[in-house]
Amino acid sequence: MNEARTLNLRVQKAELISPSLKHVVLESADRSPLPSVGAGSHIRLSLCENNKKFRNAYSIAAAADDRSAYEIIVRRVEPSRGGSAFIHNTIKAGQTIEADYPGNLFPPSFTAQKHLLISAGIGITPFLSYLSYLRRTQAEVRLHHFCRLDELETFRRLLQPYSTGEVYLHPNSTKIDVANLLQSHPLGTHLYVCGPEKFMETVLGAAKTLHWPSSKLHSESFGGSHAGGAPFVAVLARSGIEVKVGEDQTLLEAIEAAGVEPPSLCRGGACGQCLTEIIDGRPEHRDHYLSPEEHNAGRAMMICVSRAKGNRITLDL
Amino acid sequence: MLSPTIPSRPRYSPFALAPAARAHLIVAERSDALENQSVPTGDHAPLEFWAVSGDCRAPVGDTILNGVHTCHFRSASHLLSRLSYRLAIEAIGLHLYVIGTESFIWDVVKLAKQFGMNSDEYHLTHRGSEKRRVYCIHCKTMTDDVTTNIAICAGCGANLLVRDHFSKRLSAFMGVQVDAEVAGEVPAIEEVYP
Repeated sequence: MNEARTLNLRVQKAELISPSLKHVVLESADRSPLPSVGAGSHIRLSLCENNKKFRNAYSIAAAADDRSAYEIIVRRVEPSRGGSAFIHNTIKAGQTIEADYPGNLFPPSFTAQKHLLISAGIGITPFLSYLSYLRRTQAEVRLHHFCRLDELETFRRLLQPYSTGEVYLHPNSTKIDVANLLQSHPLGTHLYVCGPEKFMETVLGAAKTLHWPSSKLHSESFGGSHAGGAPFVAVLARSGIEVKVGEDQTLLEAIEAAGVEPPSLCRGGACGQCLTEIIDGRPEHRDHYLSPEEHNAGRAMMICVSRAKGNRITLDL
Repeated sequence: MLSPTIPSRPRYSPFALAPAARAHLIVAERSDALENQSVPTGDHAPLEFWAVSGDCRAPVGDTILNGVHTCHFRSASHLLSRLSYRLAIEAIGLHLYVIGTESFIWDVVKLAKQFGMNSDEYHLTHRGSEKRRVYCIHCKTMTDDVTTNIAICAGCGANLLVRDHFSKRLSAFMGVQVDAEVAGEVPAIEEVYP
């Protein structure tokens, strides 16, 4: 399960669509058809700069119908862990990039009668693929997108192909009560949220307060928001080694750099593949997989996103 | 309480209100479904109780009984018909409670699903007879109120063995012709679903 097959992609086009957003079209390097992807899929690119390797996942904003290309949009993050700076500074048309087979941890519900999409900033990317899929279905769709005032035009252009009365853009300068957007939806409505961690907490918190059932709440956070924190040491009990986890890398990345390859899949704290038992020490949980009870028990953690509380943690690896 | 015989048999829970909801709607196959049940009204969410009286002379319509907004219907069909209009205009946050026999429960669930409700929005309580609705797998006819291990199909007259296989989609138990090999070779008929 850890040996995802790799795809060879070539950068067909890379252009800035705003000072910090880059639109990248990736085509199949050998022109064989790419795996077909559903709405909400992501692709993990292997990026390399200054001998440092990064494996960052990006939502596939659009996929060509003839399976020849995927499109992603990447925000330059400051400070960058490497991936976004690499995409912004280094990649050029013609260059090849290795990628894992695409995955999907954020598919739309196939039984929903109405889809309410709420995104902020670059969190729009999975919803671009949603919009092109959902307009071919019977279901009602409404999108609320929050963005910086200076990027309003950029997002308006991105959303133009889907523009109907049901796409609303909100510049952050105007105060909007999120709760108002969540009220009085029919029973068959599903809510999807994508954006920065704080934004998602606000929207999902408001939805819980308004008694949305958890089976109708869907969210996806970007990997980037999980990365980094105070450095610590991870002791791998079975392997008998100690791994230093730097402030700009994840626990999983540090373990892999030490030559140990625990099972993992989404690297976003969502899928549950990298669940690891804790022998000693306290975790700082950042995943969406374990329940609050499991977080409190502190017996296991998702090593792709979570870190140690304190300077040492011992794992059953 | 029904005891499941095979893993796929649906399970039911005692009646209890969800800790948090925008509104509660209880639908029951009998108007005495809530007797000896205290309906907590401390939660500020509005609560309604809909029940079948099963009596053409009993008053129908809305009343307040013991502080609870109550509505009586002449039959289950009458209630289901009104429920479909209601669910069409309802909003997220409604919790639905179903109290009754198995076929009533799953008729309501089927409607709730049609309007997009998920299983964390409805709560099922079995109350009353264990009689079964049987679906003839041969002629597709439903035979209601079966209390015996073998039932005669109301459609084709076959002797049907009432299986424990329950279809949530059809809200019925599967009935399979028991004397298909040798006509008339039917096991002893016993009352097993009182």
